Amino acid sequence: MKKWSDNVMWRWLLSFFRPGKGPRINLGRRNVLTAGALGVGAACLCRVHPQASGRVFNPALIRPPGAVDEQEFLSRCIRCGECMKVCPTNAIQPAGLEAGIKGMWTPVLNMNVGYCEFDCTLCGQVCPTDAIRELPLEEKQKIKIGQSFVDKNRCLPYASARPCIVCEEHCPTPTKAIWVEEIEVTNASGQKVLVQQPHVDPELCVGCGICQNKCPIKDQSGIYVTSVGETRNSENQMLL
Amino acid sequence: MARSTRKVSAIVWLRRCIQTLCLLLFFYLFLQTAYHPINRTGGPVALFFELDPLVLAATWLAGAPVPLTLLFSLGTLGVSIFFGRWFCGWVCPLGTLHQMMTQVRGGTTASRLNRAVYSPRQRWKYLVLIGLLAGTLTGLNLIGWVDPFSLLYRSLATAIFPAFNLGSHALFAWLYESDPGLGSMRVTRVSEPVYEVLRRYLLVEGRPQYYWGILIGLVFGGILVLNLWRHRFWCRYICPLGALLGLAGKNPLLRLKKDQEACNDCRLCVAVCPAGANPDGPSDRSDAWKPAECFFCWNCESVCPKQAISFEFAVPSREHS
Repeated sequence: MKKWSDNVMWRWLLSFFRPGKGPRINLGRRNVLTAGALGVGAACLCRVHPQASGRVFNPALIRPPGAVDEQEFLSRCIRCGECMKVCPTNAIQPAGLEAGIKGMWTPVLNMNVGYCEFDCTLCGQVCPTDAIRELPLEEKQKIKIGQSFVDKNRCLPYASARPCIVCEEHCPTPTKAIWVEEIEVTNASGQKVLVQQPHVDPELCVGCGICQNKCPIKDQSGIYVTSVGETRNSENQMLL
Repeated sequence: MARSTRKVSAIVWLRRCIQTLCLLLFFYLFLQTAYHPINRTGGPVALFFELDPLVLAATWLAGAPVPLTLLFSLGTLGVSIFFGRWFCGWVCPLGTLHQMMTQVRGGTTASRLNRAVYSPRQRWKYLVLIGLLAGTLTGLNLIGWVDPFSLLYRSLATAIFPAFNLGSHALFAWLYESDPGLGSMRVTRVSEPVYEVLRRYLLVEGRPQYYWGILIGLVFGGILVLNLWRHRFWCRYICPLGALLGLAGKNPLLRLKKDQEACNDCRLCVAVCPAGANPDGPSDRSDAWKPAECFFCWNCESVCPKQAISFEFAVPSREHS
């Protein structure tokens, strides 16, 4: 007759509590300690980076809308590339060294490649670890991922006395963050011409980068976005 | 030895079907990760990450609140306690790709044995796991570089798919323009309908391109090529998820049983083992079958000419430690 203690499940459960009975994975204490120490050591080494202080910022480190604070972002992001795949404008790119070596291949926005589509929240929807939070569209449209600046040395109405309002026309915020100032300037042949020079309102700009993306000056545009003013980071601000 | 004439058991075919389905599901969800049609993706596109306990462990150890969807991965971990690394053998799409690459190189049983036998260096993956988790605990989350799903998805997204997309568009554009053929038999009569189908279901109109795509693609290709040197190199030596599942399932309820009397020591089982799990090890010795390495793929059971290997529910015998 079978005893109850012969039951396979029961004996299997017991085998977890009897040291020496089950098979072991012998890694060697020294190896385990070395591996752990390497992990902790690398973590310490990565803090030796000015940006890790939380007081120094990289203007090119523009994270997708809904991204959490940089320290938490780096502890959450698993660099899976879901956001890069889903981004409809191809703006989300694997980072190089913008966030240090430890941030390699995490997502950053490159406004020369694409821009952040105003009516889109897909990167937040697909992120499996909530490094990018899923936000309702209305909320996302108020999130600043950066701030746009006019480069007066390159912008056509400023630098070359030529008419251009491409950035103002593309600006997607309900009240346009880019406004133009009509001003009379002297062109190359000495004629007085009227141009519209763009300005950016930091209160309204969300840093979507469509101005930079559409600027006719392709290689280094006359208007560009940097990370300052991003909602996720209370330190990286320009307005007091 | 004529491998093609050997019969493969039903359970191996079942496994191959499930593996193929999981791989296709991964690709399908990958393609659905798009603006589809209005600010929505085409389904639960992060499904595989939600089944990945390594992602859960890393997020949790990093001290951040864990998204509830990641708790699905506890199911993967739970089943692994009973059935070891079944996930690696039956589900993991990256594992399936490695398995395919492993199959690419044939050769004699002797040469296969060289690539298949257990190596003590397979313990590296546990050290990789420990190092990564220790780093995560102290504020450096590098799991994503080596997590199998992150690795596969990132490589697909930033390298393989963009290259395939660009290449296909270029190929069909060239066929259309040059239109080679004989008389009224033109290539475009075939290529254009094919292009139409591809564009509808596979390709995208935009041309996604990524910085670092080349390096990410080379790393991925390199990892695949390593399978020619050792069966499922990545899964054996490096994969931290495999290590985690192996640790969870190091004392599984389902176990390999070898009939010592019937065995004729042909070592075919070792040659077909993708995991280096010592399927021929006598169960009473230290070099016995390694449950923490085994993928439960049933190859050894299927290949054995003497039917000396079986899987059954059991516990380790009490006499041996």
